[in-house]
Order: sequence, then C-alpha cells, then structure tokens
Amino acid sequence: MNCQEFWNTMPELAHEAEDGRFEHLGECSACAALLNRQRTLASGLRMLAADWRPVEAPARVESRLTAAFLGQAGLRVLHPATRWWMPVATWAAAAAAVLALAIFLTRDRPVVPAHRTSSSRVQLAAVEPPEDLEMLGDSSDAGDDFIPIPNAARIEPNEDLNLVRVEVPRSAMIALGYAVSEDRASEPVEAEVVLGADGLARAVRFLD
Amino acid sequence: MTPNLPETDDELLLRMRAGDERAFVALYRRRQAAIYRFALHMSGSAAVAEDVTQEVFLALIREECGYDSQRGTLSGYLFGIARKLVLRHVERGRSDVALETDLESSALPEMTVNDDALTDLMRREGIEALRRSVLALPRRYREVVVLCDLEEVDYGEAALVLGCPIGTVRSRLHRARALLLEKLSKRWQHRPGAIALKPIRCLI
Repeated sequence: MNCQEFWNTMPELAHEAEDGRFEHLGECSACAALLNRQRTLASGLRMLAADWRPVEAPARVESRLTAAFLGQAGLRVLHPATRWWMPVATWAAAAAAVLALAIFLTRDRPVVPAHRTSSSRVQLAAVEPPEDLEMLGDSSDAGDDFIPIPNAARIEPNEDLNLVRVEVPRSAMIALGYAVSEDRASEPVEAEVVLGADGLARAVRFLD
Repeated sequence: MTPNLPETDDELLLRMRAGDERAFVALYRRRQAAIYRFALHMSGSAAVAEDVTQEVFLALIREECGYDSQRGTLSGYLFGIARKLVLRHVERGRSDVALETDLESSALPEMTVNDDALTDLMRREGIEALRRSVLALPRRYREVVVLCDLEEVDYGEAALVLGCPIGTVRSRLHRARALLLEKLSKRWQHRPGAIALKPIRCLI
C-alpha cells in the first residue's frame, strides 16, 4: 500500500484495530506524523464541541414558541373526551373577569359631575390605545377606542385574546375619564371588554 | 418496580400534536441547543441562529413538516430543516464567509501542517482559532464537520440530513479535516513572530 492508497481509505475516520491498513505507518514516518496531526485535530474538535455544549438558544425563543404553540393548539379541534371542560372553563373565566371588571369600575366611586372630569385622563386614554388590539381581527376598527384597564398587564404579542360584550352602569365610565351626568349614572351602557389569555380584563370600550 | 424511562421524541411529538404544551416544551428543551449551535456554527451569526431555531420549531408546531419516523429520527429531521433555513439566510444575506478554493481539488490531504499550530489546539486561543477555521470552511465541508464532529451525529443520520450517501459524508469529512489542518497551519504562520517552516512531503 502506498501513501495515496493509504489516505484513500480515510484512516483518520477509522479505529486502529479495524484492519491492517495501519501497517503502512510502520513504513512511512510522514504518513504516521500526518495521522498524528489528524488525531490531534480530532481531539481539538472534541474540545471545541465540549466548549460549546452549554450554548443554547436564548430563553425568549422558548417563550415565543410556547405562545405560538398555545395559539396553534387553541385552533385545533380537541378531543371531546379529554378536553370537554375547556369551553366551560373559558366561559367561567370570562364571566369571572367581567364580574371583576364591573366591581372594579363601580366600587366606592362617587358620581362626578361633568365639569370635574379630568381632560388629561381622557387624553391619556386616547393616546395610549392597546397596541395589539389589531390581533382581534373581528372588527375593522378594533383598537381605535379601547381604553387600557388601569394597572392591568400589557397585552403581549401573540397573546390569545377574547372579546366579550357586557352591560355595565354608565357610572363605570367615570373611572376611565368619561364625563357622566348624575341623572344618567345608573343607566346601563354596552361595553366590549378585551380578556387576556389569563382571563383578566385588559381593555374596554363603550359602545355609545 | 419499572424505572420511569424518558419519553422518546416520537412519543413527545404525539402528545404535542394532541395539544399538550408540556410535551412541546420538553421536546423543545431536548433539541433546541443542538439546532441553535448548528445554525450558529454554520452562519456565524447569533441572530441568524436564533431565527433559524425559532423557525424550525414553528414548522413543527404548524405541522408544515412531513416528518416520517420510518425515514429517520426527529433530531435528524430538525437538523434538515435547520440546514435549509440556514442556506436561505445565507443566500439572502450573503453572509457565507467561506469561499470555494482550488485547494479542494487535490486528492491527498495537505501536508504543510506544522506541529506548533496543533499544539495551539490544546490552548484556549487554539480552540477559538479552530472555531474560526470551521466557520471559514466551504459550506459543504463545514456542515459535515459541524454535524459529525461538533454535534456527534453519526454518518448515517448525517447522510439523511444532507441528502447524500454515507460515502459522500465520509469523503467530505476527510477533505474537511485536511482543509482544517491547512487553515490552522496558515493561521499560525501568519501570526507575528511565527517562523515559516518547510512543508513536509510524503514521497513513498
């Protein structure tokens, strides 16, 4: 076996005990030296692999993918035997969230005369609509006049949102900066509430 | 008492397809690092590696993929998607650092390597030089080194990922190792203070 034939067998990719090709190394010190270098290189590659073993994708990739997975899973038809409770749980969460919103908006808040309404609060609501409401997709003007619920979590990109229409006393509008006259405070008003994936209200808009 | 064996990728995939979030997270955590490292070694860009990792698993979520467990492992399948995505990124961004050279046509491994360059491999800067040399390999050699040497994918699975026979994987790896030795040697010779050594030639 000459050098060409020896290297054609790709000896650096084989184990020494495999066959008799390594007999050539006894006759050729140059090939023996080169094979040694190849083995050192292989050791270096193993060290590089070990060095890089702890390297992994940033945690934000997992968060994004998990959100995408949950969104995708929500679109699938789920097996009724295993997921029969999902609609019940969803509606229960929505009802609880609406109730919590109604309590939040109406509790211990005096009816404020129209002339005392703070204009800065109205402005704040107008200039800071929830950024992600276009994801609702069921209304062309969605996001135009939604008001973020004070202290509620921000709507995350790709978050699963639900839109629920409810009736609340008109006095509930005062908490969000609307002017309401005393004589109409007890009248019901229709509102649309955006619920986050956790079932909590994120934003609201009044329909009249 | 039977010990609890970890679920296979295919079992996790089955549960994931049924909407089980924990199965998806488990599968992702098991496979993401290798996919990310593969993309990083191939592109040299953390941003591309992040994008590719995300797109690989998004494809899995959307069931766009035609994974068939009869044809190979899920791991190999994910590497295959990652490879295509990296190529797409590279073509789009022209960020491929490696250039095809006439060195590839020679049949014998180059024998101009000096031992100092290899001794360097045992040091931190030597390992970094090796990483840069891998990144500078032509793409078809780089991918076999990354898969087989750095991610320890066996030749059979690498052949499936690359869509070529096992013999081709072996010959590319053989050529890639020779190119790496040469690149390391050149890098060492171009360092300040390095002495140019006479190439060794095998005459037998």
